[in-house]
Amino acid sequence: MPMLQLDCVAFDPVLASVTISFEPGRLVGVIGPNGAGKSTLLKTIAGLLAATSGRVLVDHVDLRTVSSKLRAQKLAYLPQTLAEDIPYTVREFVEMGRFSHQSMWSEVPKTGKARVEDALAEMGLTTFADRPMYQVSGGERQRAGIARCLAQESPILLLDEPISNLDIFYQLDIMGKLSELAARGHLLLVAIHHLEFALRFCDDLLVLTNGKLVAFGPVEDVFTEDLIHEVFGIDAAMFTDPIRHYPRLSVALSEQKHGPGKAARV
Amino acid sequence: MTTRGRLTFGVLIAAFLVSSALEIGIGPMAIPFWRIIPDTWQYIHGQHTTDATVIGALRWPRLLVAILVGAGLAVSGCVLQAVFKNPMSDPGVIGVSSGGALGAVLTIALGWSAKSIWVTPVGAFVCGLLVVFIIYRLATIGRRTHLYALLLAGVAMGSLCSAIITAILDLSPLEAMQQMMFWLFGGLDGSDWHEVILLACTDAVVLTAFVALAWALDIMVTGEEHAEGVGVPVQRVKQVTLAMCALLVGICVSTTGVISFVGLIVPHVLRYFVGARHRALIPASALGGAILLSLADLLARTALSPIELNVGVVTSCLGAPFFLYLLFRRGQVWGRE
Repeated sequence: MPMLQLDCVAFDPVLASVTISFEPGRLVGVIGPNGAGKSTLLKTIAGLLAATSGRVLVDHVDLRTVSSKLRAQKLAYLPQTLAEDIPYTVREFVEMGRFSHQSMWSEVPKTGKARVEDALAEMGLTTFADRPMYQVSGGERQRAGIARCLAQESPILLLDEPISNLDIFYQLDIMGKLSELAARGHLLLVAIHHLEFALRFCDDLLVLTNGKLVAFGPVEDVFTEDLIHEVFGIDAAMFTDPIRHYPRLSVALSEQKHGPGKAARV
Repeated sequence: MTTRGRLTFGVLIAAFLVSSALEIGIGPMAIPFWRIIPDTWQYIHGQHTTDATVIGALRWPRLLVAILVGAGLAVSGCVLQAVFKNPMSDPGVIGVSSGGALGAVLTIALGWSAKSIWVTPVGAFVCGLLVVFIIYRLATIGRRTHLYALLLAGVAMGSLCSAIITAILDLSPLEAMQQMMFWLFGGLDGSDWHEVILLACTDAVVLTAFVALAWALDIMVTGEEHAEGVGVPVQRVKQVTLAMCALLVGICVSTTGVISFVGLIVPHVLRYFVGARHRALIPASALGGAILLSLADLLARTALSPIELNVGVVTSCLGAPFFLYLLFRRGQVWGRE
């Protein structure tokens, strides 16, 4: 049974009508060039942008008909950027993920606090928990954002470029954790620029270009050299890593499109 | 709450009691502190000796108006700073002050103020709310209120209002001008018990609402998209905050005229001491605003006695240097060290 359905969802003029059903337990990479509409798609699903047409359904319920709190219980959204001057500690920030589970007056109860501690531990933030957010590094801030989504305990996570500010250790670590979350039954939609990581970690890919859906399906079916050439205007060749045997990508600027360019590994 | 936070509340409460006692005791007719309670008791029981009348009919209402207006302005500033995520915000940014001043000046210029003492306050209130509504409509596109548009519209409407006020001042006779100045720079002169009751009811309703919204306001500080992501009904919070601030500040302006700076500095100073969590910051700001305004009024009355200064002049003279000191010594703006 689909967990999340987009029924002719469009956001004029950035995003053309999209109709897709997502199953639970999948890590979906949302890929496409800058300005393709990745963020717009995630924001429209999250309800930050009101779709100009169509409906977003979670478990067959139209999200426009539910309150902000109920929506947040179903789906957590992490924006691309986090303010640098947040005047709260990391723990207070992560605790904000519990907002949709609370009434206005009550304090976060023990079970909620335990979820917050779990989320902090999972993102390796326990030692930083009492530091103010404006004193931690960009990577730690980004992890705090993901921890906040985990504390929210929503079955659907929409993450807009969650690894773009992280060093290579946490890029690998977080992509691995996102895979685990999918394996535990969550549905994750993750906007990602790192094509090799998309290829390696995601179950499904959703490819956008110029605000149009180009392809959606399991990575093996969708990710082809032709598609990458068409969407990103580069020449790509897939190969298997000789040491660790995961899929790799050798890329170079396409000669026809941009003239001669230097070959580069992504 | 941290030890520093608890200590701050202790100091605030002590300062509140001291400044209240001073505001009641000091004046052209000095009343010793130990007479305050017995004289008040006499006034309540209808024994109108001179001391009892001065305390009951003049000093108490004046003190209570100072407390309630100071608290209202400081809390509005605190909440608007969170919602706008802009440390420069004070009740002035939503246009309610400039609109209120324009309303008051207009009723005086048109000669309506002579008809009843209520005309000018009502004019100030209505006009203040009208300006907020115009700014809100201008900045709301679709279902979303854009905060930068709101700030810019507020600045533009504010300068339009002050231009009209200046034009009216240019054209008015001296006597009307003096009357208008009261509204432009604020004063607690002539406070009475009706005003106290009106302000107390409004303060109670609005402050309760803001304390209930405290966590949502905390989350708004981290950014609108974030707030939406965790389930804060951002647009509703904005609407409620604007409406509540407009109502509260509208009533403040209509009783005392425009008093600047309280709403800007009090929350900033206290954010440094009690932190940026609104459950503590809102009550602390209420106390801080009450203290600042009653002390400012005391100075306004006594500094150049028998001449009485406008209280707005004193709040700025007291507040600005202290604020600048904190800002440049600590290098902190948004509750940071």
